[in-house]
Amino acid sequence: MNLGKPLPCSHLKEYRKHHGLQGYRSLQTHFRTAPSGRTAVGKFQSLIPRCSLCSLRRCRLYLCLICSSISCSDHAAAHSQANPGHEIAVDVDRAEVFCCVCADQVYDPDFDTAVMAKQFLELPKGREKDRCRKRRAAPAHDIERASSRETILVLDCGVKNRSCQPLRLRGLNNLGNTCFMNSVLQTLLHTPPLKNYFLGDWHNRELCQKQRSRRRRRAVEAGELSCLVCDVDSVFAEAFSGNPTPYSPARFLFSWWQHSSNLASYEQQDAHEFFISMLDMIHESERSTLQNKGFGDCHCIAHRVFSGVLRSDVTCTICGFTSTTYDPCVDLSLDLEPSTDSRSNKSSRISTLMGCLDLFTRPERLGPDQKLYCQHCEMHQDSVKQMSIRRLPLVLCFHIKRFEHSLRRGTSKKIDQYLQFPFSLDMTPYLSYSIIRNRFGNRIFAFEGDESDVSNDLSSEFEVFAVITHTGRLESGHYLTYLRLGERWYKCDDAWITQVSEGAVRASQGYMMYYVQKQIK
Amino acid sequence: MRASINRPPTPDPDEEPEKELTLQEMINIKLIESGEKEKLMELLRERLIECGWRDEMKALCRAYARKKGRNNVTVDDLVHVITPKGRASVPDSVKAELLQRIRSFLTSVPL
Repeated sequence: MNLGKPLPCSHLKEYRKHHGLQGYRSLQTHFRTAPSGRTAVGKFQSLIPRCSLCSLRRCRLYLCLICSSISCSDHAAAHSQANPGHEIAVDVDRAEVFCCVCADQVYDPDFDTAVMAKQFLELPKGREKDRCRKRRAAPAHDIERASSRETILVLDCGVKNRSCQPLRLRGLNNLGNTCFMNSVLQTLLHTPPLKNYFLGDWHNRELCQKQRSRRRRRAVEAGELSCLVCDVDSVFAEAFSGNPTPYSPARFLFSWWQHSSNLASYEQQDAHEFFISMLDMIHESERSTLQNKGFGDCHCIAHRVFSGVLRSDVTCTICGFTSTTYDPCVDLSLDLEPSTDSRSNKSSRISTLMGCLDLFTRPERLGPDQKLYCQHCEMHQDSVKQMSIRRLPLVLCFHIKRFEHSLRRGTSKKIDQYLQFPFSLDMTPYLSYSIIRNRFGNRIFAFEGDESDVSNDLSSEFEVFAVITHTGRLESGHYLTYLRLGERWYKCDDAWITQVSEGAVRASQGYMMYYVQKQIK
Repeated sequence: MRASINRPPTPDPDEEPEKELTLQEMINIKLIESGEKEKLMELLRERLIECGWRDEMKALCRAYARKKGRNNVTVDDLVHVITPKGRASVPDSVKAELLQRIRSFLTSVPL
């Protein structure tokens, strides 16, 4: 079957003979292309198009190229009968040529060229735009050649206009000491499992609001709050919309204020506190819609991503009886490992994250004022406590306790000491299995069925993807986030995002570090 | 003379008063003016492609064109042939979703 170029009908030929390309070019200014690529004829004289004979506003409407009157498909033929010479029209919704007498779509390559040329002219501006303008003034028979040249220009346009910033990053405007919020938001926006959850539309704002709007209207006096997870979803939608201009998360901030009225002010807040409160609120919002077996097994998105389980072993120093408890946790707050004095003869050791973790999991002799009740001895005894990690979360958040609040002296200070942290982290030595084994060797009683708890499917290898740093003093400081996208690191300072080297990130003063399991991307 | 005085005025469609518009037309105008109609069309297109409706219609059109002969088929013909089948085979879920969107739009806009 020969599917060559469709030939024009006799009416189209007649039209072209009498009018050439004038009609197409004058209509060209009215073409509007939607983001999806569909071109339509925009509103003529800002009226909604309707059939001049039956006032129909729906279905297929055709705009006469001679008199600009609009007819529906039923009355198109009547129009051409009543007005000889008015046979050729354009489908308003599709920008395609129609012959009213043949009652069929017809094809004119020059018309399509005019449509495409208009599309090219509407693409991102550059120096190319001036060149495009000159081409537009070209004589009629040159349109085809001109538009093919414009094609090449357009291809260049796309590449030149992009800055080095990938479209997945969007700055966040500071709304008044909100860098604590911006830094945490930037991190959450790029936490892989969270990103997948929200961008994968697992929380559907339409369905959620439906359930709540009714209650909200009636319960406004009762103080029923909007769904925070919906607001988080909105932030995700904005951040990944492809818009590179900085975004102001005002609505989200307001929503967060409503949920935590005691923190609603323009004062500087602690980023870690904000992070915890956010996870808490997400959990609260989802709690009503989820069936929970218990806090440790909560299936809300916040816990599915960040929640791990800590194991605490308390051993009585007298009888050796150990009581074990498991507690869920969403992050690890670590004390800074003190670095050795530079004045000593030994080379000064800088504190490292592994060192802090060692500190966290070392057996700690509880002081005489912290005697714990031993069930075996049936009295309070001196005890030794040791922490370990029973279950690792998908995303590990390390919070370095840099803000020391001394209750005795009533003062607080910030510890600026540098902490070295690895980009790749193996958590195996801190798992309960390893800790307990190191301490008790092969003693059977220490395990008590823990063998089955060792989840072999979950990896213990993590890699860093976000670092929140704090610079300045306790009362007046600034939070920044360093994000890793692929192999590159970006510094997110509120609305300013710049690419930085790995070295800059390593040298930064980490306050909160986020690691994700290596097999998760 | 009397005939011309008693002759009722020629109805001019351009001057028809607004209140003679049906509710359906008013809703349609509101949808178009606010730009919601475009969004709904995009959504509808996406859904109909996803569920395979468009491919079904394409197949119907092809079959019809083959039967009638390529040069004997017009757009009008095709539209008239597949419209009833098309309307009947739109999945209920798609209808429900679109209706829901229109409903929520109408409750958010004063008519």
